[in-house]
Amino acid sequence: MSQEDVDIAEATEVALSNSVISTATSTLNQLKEIANLIETGAYAREVRRISRAIRSTIRLRKELKASVVSSFLNFALIPGSEVHTRLSSYLGKDDENDMEIDTATSTAQTPAKHPVPELEIYCYLLALIFLIDQKKYDEAKACSEASIARLKNLNRRTVDVLASRLYSFYSLCYEYTGDLAEIRGTLLALHRTATLRRDELGQETLLNLLLRNYLNYNLYDQAEKLRSKAPRFEAHSNQQFCRYLFYLGKIRTIQLEYTDAKESLLQAARKAPVAALGFRVICTKWAVIVRLLLGEIPERTAFMQRGMEKALRPYFELTNAVRIGDLELFRTVVEKFSSTFSSDGTNNLIVRLRHNVIRTALCNISIAYSRISLSDVGKKLRLDSPDPVADAEGILAKAIRDGAIDATLDRANGWMLSKETGDIYSTNEPQVAYNSRIAFCLNMHNEAVGALRFPPNSHKEKESAEKRRERHQQEQELAKHIAEEDDDDF
Amino acid sequence: MDPNLTELCQLFDRFKAAFTRHDYETCSNLLTQLKVMLTGFKSLPPLFENTKHAVQELTIARDIYEHAVVLSVKIEDQDAFERDFFQLKPYYTDACGRLPHSPQEYPILGLNLLRLLVQNRIAEFHTELELLSSSALENPCIKHAVELEQSFMEGAYNRVLSARQSVPHETYVYFMDLLAKTVRDEIAGCSEKAYDSLSINDATQLLLFSSDKELHEYIKEEHPEWEVQNGRLIFQQAKEAATCKEIPSLQLINQTLSYARELERIV
Repeated sequence: MSQEDVDIAEATEVALSNSVISTATSTLNQLKEIANLIETGAYAREVRRISRAIRSTIRLRKELKASVVSSFLNFALIPGSEVHTRLSSYLGKDDENDMEIDTATSTAQTPAKHPVPELEIYCYLLALIFLIDQKKYDEAKACSEASIARLKNLNRRTVDVLASRLYSFYSLCYEYTGDLAEIRGTLLALHRTATLRRDELGQETLLNLLLRNYLNYNLYDQAEKLRSKAPRFEAHSNQQFCRYLFYLGKIRTIQLEYTDAKESLLQAARKAPVAALGFRVICTKWAVIVRLLLGEIPERTAFMQRGMEKALRPYFELTNAVRIGDLELFRTVVEKFSSTFSSDGTNNLIVRLRHNVIRTALCNISIAYSRISLSDVGKKLRLDSPDPVADAEGILAKAIRDGAIDATLDRANGWMLSKETGDIYSTNEPQVAYNSRIAFCLNMHNEAVGALRFPPNSHKEKESAEKRRERHQQEQELAKHIAEEDDDDF
Repeated sequence: MDPNLTELCQLFDRFKAAFTRHDYETCSNLLTQLKVMLTGFKSLPPLFENTKHAVQELTIARDIYEHAVVLSVKIEDQDAFERDFFQLKPYYTDACGRLPHSPQEYPILGLNLLRLLVQNRIAEFHTELELLSSSALENPCIKHAVELEQSFMEGAYNRVLSARQSVPHETYVYFMDLLAKTVRDEIAGCSEKAYDSLSINDATQLLLFSSDKELHEYIKEEHPEWEVQNGRLIFQQAKEAATCKEIPSLQLINQTLSYARELERIV
């Protein structure tokens, strides 16, 4: 599961790294700009600016060096203050010289005032990102613990954005060391606090982290209990919503609610940013299995999406086996790819699929033969059991009751008689299907209209040439941000 | 040794003695006392405090709950089984790092799976299954339950019934008997749809009765709509879904109007 997240993050970096200038000083300058942005954001109480600051930071992620981070800390925090000493101790002192020079230059320009809390939290975040990238997980753990202790005393809406990112990284560094179970209590406490403070972004993030935490240990029961009782509201962040849908899909799959699961998983795969390949692959894998369990056969194009062919290969062969209804082939495929399936955690689901393979085979038989003896059915199904005739009889009887095949059994003669298939166009069925498709399209249109975003002040009509130019610039910037927001993560 | 712990051990010894004597009434009484005593120990879930005798206390508590689960099977109390099992579960999931593996763990987990199967709680069955490691799935007790579920889903009921002969643990027999009842109902439901009619002999055999008399009683109680004529059992086939004779005009008008309304909004 961790792979999909790393993927989301990395994809973002790759997409953005082109625009980054790579010298240390310019990185520092950029960080200072970000600090400015945060300060203005904090004074003006504009959450948007803060989110923008975080996005710019993620872009700088690859450029961060110990020297840059520590000189930034010198700039942003009062040297010698408690936070400063603590954060510097985590970073270690490997670039003494470099740091001193920077200290000299930066102390001159540091305003001798107390930094705004947002900036302080931002310093924690920056240090944490740096530590995780350097794989110093123990320091990262200590750093995140300290930041969370600090966050408990802050109740400002502008901090929420920073806090939600901190929570994610907090959980991430515990996940890397395999100690997720340890922080469950803390996360639950944080979720409670976030709920009390009406910090919806925080709630959203923490709920996902908790679900991830439970699912990491296959605790589906607890995850579902938490999910169904946690307050729900309209999603604030697309990424968090995607994750939520994915976790929801997984839970529902395990609990055999395949129809709902399919919906959630497909939606998660569609909503995920294009760059987050790993996430989309894992969503598709689960969606394929759920559709197979529902008795649907996914189209070939689902397996041929760009960059996914190789990863989906085992699932493609599996689908093939189910489609043909060949138990022998199914068995070989499962054996051949068992390591893939167990690393994906889908092994138990695939065991459930055996039943669907039998069903498909029965359907094929009942279409092909108008009358067939039970022992032949047993042979065709290749049931490896001591008494195939009795097995076949039971299986057929159940399939008939469930409506999978339309036939009757004749026990005295030991054969199955298929009924003539009626003309489907003499029923209401086509009309119902047509209606549901139309309803789907209309609903999609309405949702699209509801989701349209408009630039501010677009209603003002007359404007001078200069103003128009300015407006154009603004619009472009806005468009860029929207695009960034779409594939930005962590 | 802690006096409380000593007392607990003594009481538990008495419980075990009664248990081997099959004196289940005394057992139930003693068990209640034991459970009350267990609440006094801080090292047990949910507190999990690291006291001096923590491991010892956890082990004995686990042992008590394991016995409680088995006892509930013996006195055939499914609700008690569920309660005791949930109390036992934290010892397997959360305390596994501190305690040595219990030999009773897999039989009891398998028993629980079987219970969920009997009560037809398939979603919970699968949720529990996800918690088990691949090595646990290889264990005969667990495997037994998993294979039963598969046969049950497929409809191979005769395999379910023959599994009764190969139970991995004596406590399983109780649930297997319950399962046989469920299976009979399932077979009856399937046969009703799959056959037009059956000879009495075949029906007796199919529904696992030893004599025709039992079959007749069963029909009277569960399926009074079945008919017996000339030594054959005739099922009342449900009416075929009738083909659409008339046009559902009102529904069509409503739909068409709603399309028109939506289209107008778009244009």
